[in-house]
Amino acid sequence: MSKLSEKYEVIVGLEIHAELCTETKIFCGCKNEFGAEVNTLCCPVCMGMPGTLPVLNRQVVDYAIKMGHALGCRINRISKMDRKNYFYPDLPKAYQISQFDIPLCEHGSLDILMNGQVKRVGITRIHIEEDAGKLIHDDAFEGSLVDYNRCGVPLIEIVSEPDLRSAEEAKVYMETITGILLYLGISDAKMQEGCVRADVNVSVRPRGQKEFGTRTEMKNVNSFGAVYRAIQYEANRQMEVLEAGGSIEQETRRWDDAKGVNIVLRTKEDAQDYRYFPEPDLLTFEVSEERVQQLKAEVPELPVAKALRYVQQFGLNQDDAQLLASSKARSAFFDASVALNKCDKKAISNWMIGDIAKILNERRIEITDTALTPEKLTDMIVLIEQGTISNTAAKTVLDEIIVHDVTPADVVKEKGLAQVSDESALAAIADQVLAANTKAVADYKGGKTNVLGFLVGQCMKASKGQGNPAKLRELLSSKIAQL
Amino acid sequence: MNLYEKSAAELSRMVRAKEVSATEITKDALARIEAVDLKVDAFLTVEAEKALDRAAWVDEQVAAGKDLGPLAGVPVAVKDNICTKGTKTTCASKMLGNFIPPYNATVVDKLLAAGAVIPGKVNLDEFAMGGSCENSAFKATKNPWDLTRVPGGSSGGSAAAVAACEVPLALGSDTGGSIRCPAGLCGIVGLKPTYGAVSRFGLVAFASSLDQIGPMARTVDDAALLFRVICGQDTAHDATSKPFNFAGMGPDIRGVRVGLPKEYFGTGVSEEVKAGVLKAVDDLKALGAQVIEISLPSTRYALSAYYIISSAEASSNLARYDGVKYGYSGRRDGSLNDLYLSTRSEGFGREVKRRIMLGTYVLSSGYYDAYYKRAKMLQRAIAAEFDEAFSQCDVIATPTSPSTAFKLGEKVNDPLAMYATDICTTTANIAGLPGISVPCGFDSQGLPIGLQLLGPKWSEARLLTVAKCYETAKGGFAVKEM
Amino acid sequence: MEFDVKHIAKLAMLQFTAEEAAAFEKEFAQIVKMVENLPEMESAVTLLEPENQMELREDAVIPSYPREEILQNVPHAVAGCIVVPKTVD
Repeated sequence: MSKLSEKYEVIVGLEIHAELCTETKIFCGCKNEFGAEVNTLCCPVCMGMPGTLPVLNRQVVDYAIKMGHALGCRINRISKMDRKNYFYPDLPKAYQISQFDIPLCEHGSLDILMNGQVKRVGITRIHIEEDAGKLIHDDAFEGSLVDYNRCGVPLIEIVSEPDLRSAEEAKVYMETITGILLYLGISDAKMQEGCVRADVNVSVRPRGQKEFGTRTEMKNVNSFGAVYRAIQYEANRQMEVLEAGGSIEQETRRWDDAKGVNIVLRTKEDAQDYRYFPEPDLLTFEVSEERVQQLKAEVPELPVAKALRYVQQFGLNQDDAQLLASSKARSAFFDASVALNKCDKKAISNWMIGDIAKILNERRIEITDTALTPEKLTDMIVLIEQGTISNTAAKTVLDEIIVHDVTPADVVKEKGLAQVSDESALAAIADQVLAANTKAVADYKGGKTNVLGFLVGQCMKASKGQGNPAKLRELLSSKIAQL
Repeated sequence: MNLYEKSAAELSRMVRAKEVSATEITKDALARIEAVDLKVDAFLTVEAEKALDRAAWVDEQVAAGKDLGPLAGVPVAVKDNICTKGTKTTCASKMLGNFIPPYNATVVDKLLAAGAVIPGKVNLDEFAMGGSCENSAFKATKNPWDLTRVPGGSSGGSAAAVAACEVPLALGSDTGGSIRCPAGLCGIVGLKPTYGAVSRFGLVAFASSLDQIGPMARTVDDAALLFRVICGQDTAHDATSKPFNFAGMGPDIRGVRVGLPKEYFGTGVSEEVKAGVLKAVDDLKALGAQVIEISLPSTRYALSAYYIISSAEASSNLARYDGVKYGYSGRRDGSLNDLYLSTRSEGFGREVKRRIMLGTYVLSSGYYDAYYKRAKMLQRAIAAEFDEAFSQCDVIATPTSPSTAFKLGEKVNDPLAMYATDICTTTANIAGLPGISVPCGFDSQGLPIGLQLLGPKWSEARLLTVAKCYETAKGGFAVKEM
Repeated sequence: MEFDVKHIAKLAMLQFTAEEAAAFEKEFAQIVKMVENLPEMESAVTLLEPENQMELREDAVIPSYPREEILQNVPHAVAGCIVVPKTVD
């Protein structure tokens, strides 16, 4: 494997389909909602009943243009819809209304961060189209069942250039795209619900060769992990075929993530002839230059730019900066906290990525779901910086202010968490700890000076977190020296 | 005069004046249908009970002194490719033989809002593809003027029902002449509106970019009355519909410039038809119109462009009939492909399959540019030519059909001869223009001849004015005694 | 011009008996000849029609149809779903 990957270069291009979180479907007023009972979000239009006609949802166009701006695309203000014809039970009209030769957005690019390095990926196009229904395969029934709720849910398809060079890059690219969708608030981007799906184009070529190898297309790749695994598998398969003296056939394959294999779906010979032509039920549509600019102005600073700025401006390390920037809610909280300009910015980051993230993960909630505010967090950090509370006591404060609508100062007062710096009180604690830990004292004297940390910890425990650890450390070492 | 012979305008006036009830009118119409439809075969579905319930409702409105719509109590037949909620809408196809839409077409909602009573649904060529009404999967409608002849198509049922006085009004649809040709062959008035003037929502699509619903009537006033009810933008349901205020007809046609395009009077058009149309043009001149010769050279390509564009769209529009969601369903004991193939091969008639095949071909890989795109470019050229012509004249006069009604069976096995019957009418659809057919006399066999008037987009009022002035000058149009 | 009835029929999801196919082939030769009689046209790059535009719809919910109505015409339905012969794709 590693030998092969030294010999060959992997070339990947992605077509990402993302469901947009509009109120209604793309061509009718049915609710765009996940998880409803089967066939309850349908009407004659999305059912493709005879005589019904589509009417395009303005919000879909706006959302797609926003994504276009986020990916630096040229916006085709004058555009149209086209029909893509094929028969399948999940497609009630037997054609999908999509865009063919004039997508809403073209010629963009996306910067992704690979190990701290910026890598630019070309974006060929973004177009809008309708989603198909869902086939349900259940052994209890003889046939396949069809649920049309998803028919007509708006999608954008984001097509990348074949600029990705590894499964890892493709995964990061997809994560970055998903992050942007969430940032823009145009998609829920939940992969487990199939909100974001990818078709993956893979080819390999001997390193140094200019021409691309023959590519295959893989359908049904529905998670970040699956993108990685599917590409690894397919690249490997292709390299092995070439190594064995074979050649790659241009074909469509289906990724089976559970089994970790792909199988041929269609060969080049039975390639579909989609017979695209302009959708005659819809006319040309135009978005004003003013509206295009307005939508551009609504695009916020995006994750990658944000992460780079955090590193530069606040000296955060790359991983922390990316972690903070990757979530809209998290970065908004960080930005607001920083804007208060009350405390060390790195401390904010450390708390957010450390204890706060831990709590959020445990409770499976977002920072916006808590009682925590940028004011309270920075107030708490200020209390630490002023020496009023210890880090340990701060954790207790955090536990409170994340749940209840109370200020850190109140918590400190109420729970008596203020740090004890009074010499005599601390000395009593130190004496007590030293007396109870004679072995540690002996070890320290025997040269194991690192047990001092342990003793400080014991003192902190004894003081219920209120002792000033720096003072305790001082006291302990002088007291041991006197013993 | 029998009730069933009266115009819609007169019936509506009588209902208002309480001279007759909607129920009486409806009963009379139903009796008339029962009496003559055995011979004419215009109706596919008659819903007597529903119609009488509806008439009773109108009468209640009258009794309660409520505001009445312009079609209060007027029977209107609806072509069976226009969806009626709760009533079978078959498109005269085995494919939709049992299809009951859970929604109304916008025009049907408008009819009902105007107080109309719908006695039933009328015959057509399957999915509106044909020029004789013989392509119906259920029956061939006959021409009331000669029951051995076709009524024309595809709105043959609508035309025959109106011509035989079964109803005063009917809705038809026109993709390449399907309102105007049967109107011409049955001696009635048929208006194909400007593309976008009437909502297509609920009209089962044949060729989306060409289809328009329009009125068919025995008088120009009635056609105008029905048109006024159904026109207007339908932003909620049809993105191709446009705002349109129908101004109504003017008093005379003095100074109106009538263009005569020589290309519409060439070979293929019968001498008798030519003579009839030219006589009508002379009549218009006598009414103060100015007649000028014009040329529309691209007309010779219009039929080809029409068959390419309409078949391409049809091949896609009719792909949804696959036995899964509604309508005829074929073999269920095999694979999905077996279901698809058997449903479509058994459910569609020959002409429909022919067009689906042609449409699939012209869109298929490698042929799109040569056929479809070229036809679309030609469409632009034809539209531009009309624009140019309308800088010289106000309306264009041509024959509606190249010949009068032909014998049943005469052209069934000759698709090209059948296609050629649309030769004078397809240009209006290609260019999106309004066109009207009015009766202009008879040939030596006593068969009606149709005069077609074409105008620029949104010139329906002008076309109807010319038609109305002509009608008045002729002392009204003849009605066939049956 | 070449007209492969079998290929087009496959795309159109239609099947014909050998007899039907032969008749079609003949008719088609004529029809295609007719439609081939098109002049060379200057080909625009796209089929956009900026002079003929549509309005877009606001993103406002309209109640969906009751499932009974949606399924009322379905030839074969089970458990609120439309049934088709088993397919995996």
